Amino acid sequence: MPKQILIVDDEKIVCDMAQRILTQEGYDVEAFIDSTQALDRIRNKQFDLVVTDLKMENVDGMAILKEVNQLYPDTKVIMLTAYATLDAAIEAIRERIFDFFPKPVKIEDLKRSVKKALGS
Amino acid sequence: MTIRNRIIIAVAIQATIICLIGVFVYLSFNTVLSKLGVIEIIDDLNISLLEVRKSEKNYFLYGDVNALKEVVERGEYLDNVIQSSKADILKTLGPGTYDTMRNNLNQYLNMARGVIATKKTPTKFEEDFRSLGHELTRLSEVLLKRERRDVNNIISTSITRLIASLGVVLLFQLVVWQYFSHFLIKELAIMGNLIQMVSQGKLHEVAKQTFSPKNEIDYAIKALADMARELEKREAVLLQSEKLASLGILISGVAHELGNPLNNISLIAQGYLSLYDILEDGEKKNFMADVLTQTERISRIINNLLDFSRQKKQELQEYEPEDLVERSIALVSNQIKISNVKLHKYLQPDLPHVYVDAPQIEQVLINLLINAIQAMPEGGDLTLDVGQDMENGNLIVKVKDTGAGISKEDLPHVFDPFFTTKGTKGTGLGLSLSYGIIQQHRGDIAVESEEGQGTTFTVKIPIYQPKEREEDAQADLDR
Repeated sequence: MPKQILIVDDEKIVCDMAQRILTQEGYDVEAFIDSTQALDRIRNKQFDLVVTDLKMENVDGMAILKEVNQLYPDTKVIMLTAYATLDAAIEAIRERIFDFFPKPVKIEDLKRSVKKALGS
Repeated sequence: MTIRNRIIIAVAIQATIICLIGVFVYLSFNTVLSKLGVIEIIDDLNISLLEVRKSEKNYFLYGDVNALKEVVERGEYLDNVIQSSKADILKTLGPGTYDTMRNNLNQYLNMARGVIATKKTPTKFEEDFRSLGHELTRLSEVLLKRERRDVNNIISTSITRLIASLGVVLLFQLVVWQYFSHFLIKELAIMGNLIQMVSQGKLHEVAKQTFSPKNEIDYAIKALADMARELEKREAVLLQSEKLASLGILISGVAHELGNPLNNISLIAQGYLSLYDILEDGEKKNFMADVLTQTERISRIINNLLDFSRQKKQELQEYEPEDLVERSIALVSNQIKISNVKLHKYLQPDLPHVYVDAPQIEQVLINLLINAIQAMPEGGDLTLDVGQDMENGNLIVKVKDTGAGISKEDLPHVFDPFFTTKGTKGTGLGLSLSYGIIQQHRGDIAVESEEGQGTTFTVKIPIYQPKEREEDAQADLDR
């Protein structure tokens, strides 16, 4: 069974492109532009990996990371952000982030990180 | 005419009047003096005449010819006195009087000499001789009286004229004082008005006072207008530098904001390359269309920033408050995103339009929003409430934060130039310039704050009333 990945980013292009590329890699990918909907989905289903943006309307990436950690300690989280600050990175590390990508993201790096996170 | 010249003219007129009075008094006294001299002469004549008459009386009492000789001797002496005083008598009494006096005297003496020579007393001699002597006495007494009366008249008219002249001087003084006080008060009131306008920040209205100065106060007013023009220039420079300071803060947010569209373009390009072989033509087209959308997004962000940074001439135009508020929020939106501040925006629907210099008002709003964000480094709620005050016809913008608040000691100084609570991070000019901008728009800006609770800034801007504006414009033209 393919690994389950959830992507949440309020930039539609990021969702589309990541979903397309990662699906191409053989994963099962669900993408959300609305972080509230993404959080609902996470509460209902365990994913192997969550790729989230940091700064989003409504629920932000840090809240999603905390929620995932609390619900599913085995699920890995990768964070993308255009607002990469040291404070944000430190907070994410404390919350056991798997990887942290400042935008613009290199697809090859993301693919490698996803592969590493899913141990495949 | 300069005030100096006016004063010189007033003093010169006064001095002339006083000199004229002096000359008049001098002339009057001179006349009195010469009259007194004449009186003395007439007095002498009188006394000599009385001596003559005494001898005359003796002659008729005792019939002694020696007494008659005495009459002649004393009469000749009197004639000498009259002759030696001829100049004075001619001057004051006229040639008629002089001749009459001498003729009468000579006739009188000739009668006496006739009696002495012939030793005969003609008939009616005593009667004629006495009446001639009497006539001489009467003439001299009339003269004396007349001269005394003249002196009295001269002195009393002099006193009346002197009092009248003093009255004229006092009246003139009063007129001069009234003129200067009225004139100076009027000019000083104009100046006071202008100074007040400067203090209220209405530099432009003071600066446009152009006229050719006619007096010292006009020069002072002109200097004031020049100063206002200079201040206006400096304020424009100050506004621009403060704007650049705001831009410095905004730029970090903008740099982040650019991150998303750049990332999108990068992702599209990477996806395009790696998926090139499996992409259909339609999808490739879509990818490129997305790239275009993202580049447009980037130029919009940059244009917003450029628009704000550009120094524009002051220009009042009609605006919808929503536009002003949204444009200001757009510029600070990334500051909000970076910080942990949550923005709550309340915009009353269908707000009336305002007549403002949009870049300036936007700068005020951005100043207030940046201040509010910086007041909450740990995050908090930023409330932007835009409404309308029906009573006074003002647009009301409230910017409220939940930060540390401003202490009671600092609160009265927040609009002072160079006052800052941000240490070296702030210029202390943001609120001071905002205050100036709002004052120029005939509005008002106020602050309320409680330590530990937060701070609220309230900006009032008059609502656009086309008719009122036309009247104002007309008044400006008329001025």
